[in-house]
Amino acid sequence: MKAWAIYFGAPIPYAEGLRIQEAIWNLRCQDLIPDAVLFLEHRPVVTLGNRGRTGHLLATPEKLREAGIDFVHASRGGDVTYHGPGQLVMYPILKLGAHETDAHGYLHNLEETAILTAADFGVPAFRRAGMNGAWTEQGKIAAIGFRLKRWVTLHGMSFNVQVDLSGFQTIVPCGLVGQPVSSLRAILGEKAPDLPSARQSMSRHFSEVFERPLDIFERDGDLPLPLTQLMSKPL
Amino acid sequence: MSTPKELRYTKTHEWVRRDGNLLTVGITDFAQEQLSDLTYVELPSANDAVTAQDEVAVVESVKAASDIYAPVTGTITEVNSALIDQPELINQDPFGAGWIFKIEPDDMSEFDSLLDADSYEELLPEDEE
Repeated sequence: MKAWAIYFGAPIPYAEGLRIQEAIWNLRCQDLIPDAVLFLEHRPVVTLGNRGRTGHLLATPEKLREAGIDFVHASRGGDVTYHGPGQLVMYPILKLGAHETDAHGYLHNLEETAILTAADFGVPAFRRAGMNGAWTEQGKIAAIGFRLKRWVTLHGMSFNVQVDLSGFQTIVPCGLVGQPVSSLRAILGEKAPDLPSARQSMSRHFSEVFERPLDIFERDGDLPLPLTQLMSKPL
Repeated sequence: MSTPKELRYTKTHEWVRRDGNLLTVGITDFAQEQLSDLTYVELPSANDAVTAQDEVAVVESVKAASDIYAPVTGTITEVNSALIDQPELINQDPFGAGWIFKIEPDDMSEFDSLLDADSYEELLPEDEE
């Protein structure tokens, strides 16, 4: 079965991403739409997962806001993370269980997608035991945190492409003390891909790894009917 | 992955065992494997009255959080408080020591309409390996 991929142009606020995910989740639970996957960027935001510890925040929410960084509690697994422009965020909304590939585990498949995407740009990435995500010699390049509701996935993975890594200095990323964060930009410099190139690569690998062929839509273009209204921008 | 024949199942990957008037509920082997190593379980309270499909518990691994649903309408009679300190019991023994709560159904016929093992297995992906 095909899945819908939706590409977003400009970075969106975290709350808007959440609203759209939940609306799509609701349609997916009712089998009104196929699986979907959002590819987007967020405006600067620090998010704390369900079990995240505020001790892993290195700045108060007030200080963050002064620096133009939002702060929200997110109902996902995982600890604290940062999102900002130049970071590719992937939110799959998949009904798990029916696909053969799902037997390998959702987390494994997300990591595989990140590792293959990094490899497309000549960056070797790998798993580290007990530390989920995708890592490079220079540090963590992809962070994962997700939620299952009625066995349909929410939240997902963020992959550092061109993002300004100084945003991560406000937190202990994923609650892992002393573990650096990296990006394609930090590793490759001028040769790092722009966000659309990384998105194209990640879409392709997502489709292979999860065995879901993709129909790709632009958020601001023609969308499948059930999504038109829920994607419309708030006035 | 195992699917014990004597249990009943839900589409949301809970298993249900009948002991007299009580039903014991946990999550299946498939479910625990998808979530990987569990680190936290949020349990309901005994005496909670719940409706079938209500969210009654949450299990979390390092990177995932997943809701657990009431398989039938009834009253929670007991929760497995050992999971508070040892959530990994769900991974180690999902159908045994990893049970999550017991519920007394308002109407036992709801139990009979849950999925049997064969029907539940049909929902699962084929294992390629």
